[in-house]
Amino acid sequence: MNPFSYTRPVDEAEALRALAEPGAVALAGGTTLVDLMRLEVMRPSRVVDLGGLPLDKIDVSSGSITIGALASNTAVADHPEIKARFPVLAEAIDAGASGQIRNMASIGGNLMMRTRCSYFRDTASPCNKRTPGSGCSAQDGYARMHAVVGGSKDCIAAHPSDMCVALLALDAIVHVKSARGERALPIGELHTLPGNQPNIETTLQAGELITGIELRDAPFAKRSRYVKARDRASFAFALASAAVALDIAGGTIRDARVALGGVGTKPWREHAVEAALHDKPASKATFAAAAKVALADADPRADNAFKIELARRVIARALVLAGGVS
Amino acid sequence: MKPSVGTPIDRVDAKQKVTGTATYAADTPVTRVAHAVIATSAIGKGTIRALDIDAARAAPGVLAVITHANAPKIAAGKHGGAPNERVLQLLQEAQVHYADQPIAVVVAETLERAQHAAALIVPRYAARPVMVALEQGLNEAYKPNGMVHGEPDTTRGNFDTAVADAPHKLDATYTTPNENHNPMEPHATIAVWQGSDRLTLYDATQGIFGVRQRIAEVFGIPKDHVRVIDQFVGGGFGCKGTPWSHVGLCALAAKVVNRPVKLAITRQQMFSLVGHRPHTMQHVVLAADAHGKLVATKHAVISETSSFDEFVEPSALQTRMLYACPNLVTSHRLVRVDAPTPTFMRAPGESSGTFAIESAMDELAYIVGIDPIELRLRNYAEVDEQDQKPFSSKSLRQCYAQAAAKFGWAKRNPKPRSMRDGHELVGYGMAGATYPANQWPAGARATYRPDGTYLVQAGTQDLGTGTYTIMTQVAADALGVPVDKVTFELGDTAFPEAPVSGGSTTASTVGPAVKDACTMLKAKLAAMTPADRAAGQPVTAEARSEVSPDRQKYALHSFGADFVEVRVDEDLGSIRVARVVAAFAAGKILNPKTANNQLVGGIVFGIGMALEENTVRDRRTGRVVTRDLADYHVPVHADVPAIDVIQIAEDDPHVNSLGTKGIGEIGVTGVTAAIANAVYHATGKRVRELPITLDKLLA
Amino acid sequence: MQNVSGPCRVMAFARGWSPERAAPGELARIRAHLRGLAAELVFESEHGTWLCRPDDELVAIAPLGRARFRVADDEDAVFVVDPAGAVRFAHCQHAPIRDTLAAALEQATDVMLAQAPLHFTRRAWLTTCVVSGFALAVLSACKQKVDPSDPPPLEAARPPLPQELDIVLDVNGTKHPLRVEPRVSLLDALRERLQLTGTKKGCDAGQCGACTVHVAGKRVLSCLTLAVSVQGKPITTIEGLARGEQLHPLQLAFIEHDGMQCGFCTSGQIMSGAAILSEGRATDDAAIREQMSGNICRCGAYPNILAAIKAARS
Repeated sequence: MNPFSYTRPVDEAEALRALAEPGAVALAGGTTLVDLMRLEVMRPSRVVDLGGLPLDKIDVSSGSITIGALASNTAVADHPEIKARFPVLAEAIDAGASGQIRNMASIGGNLMMRTRCSYFRDTASPCNKRTPGSGCSAQDGYARMHAVVGGSKDCIAAHPSDMCVALLALDAIVHVKSARGERALPIGELHTLPGNQPNIETTLQAGELITGIELRDAPFAKRSRYVKARDRASFAFALASAAVALDIAGGTIRDARVALGGVGTKPWREHAVEAALHDKPASKATFAAAAKVALADADPRADNAFKIELARRVIARALVLAGGVS
Repeated sequence: MKPSVGTPIDRVDAKQKVTGTATYAADTPVTRVAHAVIATSAIGKGTIRALDIDAARAAPGVLAVITHANAPKIAAGKHGGAPNERVLQLLQEAQVHYADQPIAVVVAETLERAQHAAALIVPRYAARPVMVALEQGLNEAYKPNGMVHGEPDTTRGNFDTAVADAPHKLDATYTTPNENHNPMEPHATIAVWQGSDRLTLYDATQGIFGVRQRIAEVFGIPKDHVRVIDQFVGGGFGCKGTPWSHVGLCALAAKVVNRPVKLAITRQQMFSLVGHRPHTMQHVVLAADAHGKLVATKHAVISETSSFDEFVEPSALQTRMLYACPNLVTSHRLVRVDAPTPTFMRAPGESSGTFAIESAMDELAYIVGIDPIELRLRNYAEVDEQDQKPFSSKSLRQCYAQAAAKFGWAKRNPKPRSMRDGHELVGYGMAGATYPANQWPAGARATYRPDGTYLVQAGTQDLGTGTYTIMTQVAADALGVPVDKVTFELGDTAFPEAPVSGGSTTASTVGPAVKDACTMLKAKLAAMTPADRAAGQPVTAEARSEVSPDRQKYALHSFGADFVEVRVDEDLGSIRVARVVAAFAAGKILNPKTANNQLVGGIVFGIGMALEENTVRDRRTGRVVTRDLADYHVPVHADVPAIDVIQIAEDDPHVNSLGTKGIGEIGVTGVTAAIANAVYHATGKRVRELPITLDKLLA
Repeated sequence: MQNVSGPCRVMAFARGWSPERAAPGELARIRAHLRGLAAELVFESEHGTWLCRPDDELVAIAPLGRARFRVADDEDAVFVVDPAGAVRFAHCQHAPIRDTLAAALEQATDVMLAQAPLHFTRRAWLTTCVVSGFALAVLSACKQKVDPSDPPPLEAARPPLPQELDIVLDVNGTKHPLRVEPRVSLLDALRERLQLTGTKKGCDAGQCGACTVHVAGKRVLSCLTLAVSVQGKPITTIEGLARGEQLHPLQLAFIEHDGMQCGFCTSGQIMSGAAILSEGRATDDAAIREQMSGNICRCGAYPNILAAIKAARS
């Protein structure tokens, strides 16, 4: 780990000034940053510890819940209102990492989580995300854990977060602050595709700070589930996962949200599956047929081609569970 | 007085372990110790053309940057030839033989300073193409000169004739991947030189005397000038049974900086610096008559070794004696790959080999149309047909019967895909387990102390195996005193010499030595006059036990049987082990509580082998891709169901004076095949390639 | 003493000293210093004479004799003898030396490290440093009264290195002032700076759970926690779980149910298990297994760990 200057701002204004300095990165729970700094994958010269900021509140109101960026993953997953009104979020968080990591990891940090691609994490392997222009070792390498959609010839690293998949399905809004003011953006606009600049992963600008996320009640939110397929029963990243949310009235699907994890270079919204569910009867047959249209444009490697069929089955399973049909 | 051996007393070191006061190698307090970090090669083969160490050397707190260009000359290549000695990489050459080979050692005042300085080293390489896939090197497969536990090739009868006419045949290839041991404690060494030729090492090892020997050789000093201490080992499973390069590098660093040095390797470095189980391809042919009696068996193994040293994974060993079969041929061949030298990994040979042979037997049972237990009973070996010796004891029938009954095997509908529960396919599978019962010579010392307590010492190891506890029990019984009067110490080459704790031999090797020393002490005390005793001096007896001579006449093995229920998600393909019932007959069990934990632990290790573990090397660079515990999966709590182990009492007067056979490794054998067999029963898919991951069941 | 290779030897005539009268942890600290110095120590008092080598039990040896070293009965003294047997340093004083002995050894180690060894043979250099260290320590001890109940300073005062910060870590109820670089993990601060080695480093990457401690009552991974970020928060390690000799119910349950084999993951398992018990998360077998899946046990003691947690729950 490189030597760095460490500051711990006492308020947002100080934090924003510190984050605007060149070479500054934010430290929240440390589960991504400390890990990657120890590997010398990230080498910021300034670390701004946000731990002193009062950004950990979970504000419940009728119509929405706002979660501060420094709320821990555990606090969010344990919250009774979140479990009742946005169950897929609690399920997704609980399916991720370990209890200790969920205690440490913040919501903001989870939004900014970086890939687990082992070539990215190995400084002796070429990686365009880590060192632009050096090449992508995964394209023709061991790609079992890599993305089948959203990739480019420069990067196919999968986005590893479970929470982000659920937030995407819930149309969550990300609140951002900077010295220039505040803005809000749908989570679908936060993460970027690698394209030819895989080192850029979000639309955040320098000096911007995520202050929280906002969840708005919607008819589909309460009937939502998360299903994750992985190589061992716990403490493993997704091979493929699905967050689904259904608005069913009178046996008919009025609205649906389907988002995938483990398969995309960012959390992946499946509009085609949603369209295939819209106005259909809520039945196993509907769910099976809809799931089949997922990932139609997938671009797999030999090692990860199985993810396409797996993801479709995960979607179908999640829909069956959310739909309450046997 | 009621004997302690055979009773489930609490582990005597449990309190230290639960309070965090057990001292592992890297915990040893050494004031102002300097920290060393190994920098490793980016390439998998070639030479180091240049190493720019200027920035590293200039970094704050750095005491030395040692490379092949400036390292003192020491003997890395040669070794005495003992099975657990390897050719080491001690910065003596510019050549790179495998990815993440040591290329420099940085020593600094603090760990952080050493770590970052190591990242500042800029190497330039002349890289050569690597070959790391066994499948690509099959044309160059060769027969090794020897193998640790027997000949590479054996033959009895005439396989080719017998196989030709047999009505039932199975011809299949089974593969096991490269695997890494990954004990929880990364290897670590602290080196303290006293003067120029005396050295104390606090080293995480399964073999303190082996480390002493190898380091003395490397530095050209008398071995009694080297003291190795390791009171607690955080697991080994074989990777701590060999003195690896980091030990010599730590001692070298301490010499260069004239200060005690601590070197703990990283988890990532555990994938290249301390050995692994090699990838195997195992060709099995079973031919049986109409009743399922084996008439011909072939088990041909191909595995990997490094380009510069030789290790054979002896996967066909057990097949030579496991079943009755008059015509049997086995062979072992090696392919050299550009990877580190493999080593013994928990049940080397038997774990990878029983996956093959016990899967094959299951397949044959389906071909013949009989129950898999029945097939094994029809082929039960009453004697070791290869060595032509009777078994010293064998309770395999009881293992089959008791485990089957407890498991509820009779409920099994043999038809594949015939049992389900909701969206889970249910499968029942079974397999046999076996491991040899070995014994070596060892020494022990027993001392009666003036305060009325006893101190018993042996230069052996406890890597979670329970040595502290069982030796305390053996000693107490031999002395005729309660266990709380006895303290057993190990892990110090100042104690009488004992071999490496490997091969499930410690109880059978050190136990007799402890028993002998204590028996001698007891006699010595009994012969003392009251006046002698009143003098209040300690009384000591030391013994060296030899291998039981009776052993030559017998084949000495433990046996067992594993029964597994798996659940396979019919849509997602995910597999979970729902329950395990296993029975083992391993001679005398010294402590049923610690033994149960050990046997269960072996089964857990086998679950990992069957379903999760796979060390993948990138074919272009030779670099390990699955290089940490997030990418290399070992079982977690949620993977492990109820595991019911039946310890079958077995009285064996030939195996050694305690009647023990060793239990550290048998738990890993058989269970991988039982799981594969259960997956077949659940799904109708036969998977012959480990690990069995969900993508293999999806199609 | 014709032993030409080997350690240099420190001899202390310390009135009132004996192994039974050593303060808790005093001998362990002295052993750590002796390892750092590659030296051995001889104590002599009216109670006896002992040879202390870092890795051996104290050995009672024949008295050296105060008279031979011209040490009066109302004096304490320290001598440093080189491997060839020559006395290189001698100091006598009326004030008791035993309370400062460990500090003197530590000071000698510091002095040793401050020297450039280039022009000495290793033996001569080492002896010279040990000598200087003792001289500094005993002289400073003579000037000040040392209260034996003061916890000994774990760290000698030294000027700060670049980027170091002065922090206070509150560990197991004791406040420890430390000077650390921001990049030092809580795990390394505990193990390397505070000698609390009960917390283990299994992977240094948040993937195994062996480094689990409690910070502000929550279980966290100390390897991914920067020490500077938890100053002022109450930290509990495995060493702080018991109340003196009274073990935590989970520790007792681990002993009874044999919840360990090699023991390396045990600290983390217990810290994790204690947390899920107090948080009410250990509801059934499946929940316990899931909640504990961040603590890897390669020895496979999982079933016994589960049994221990269930036993402690009731």
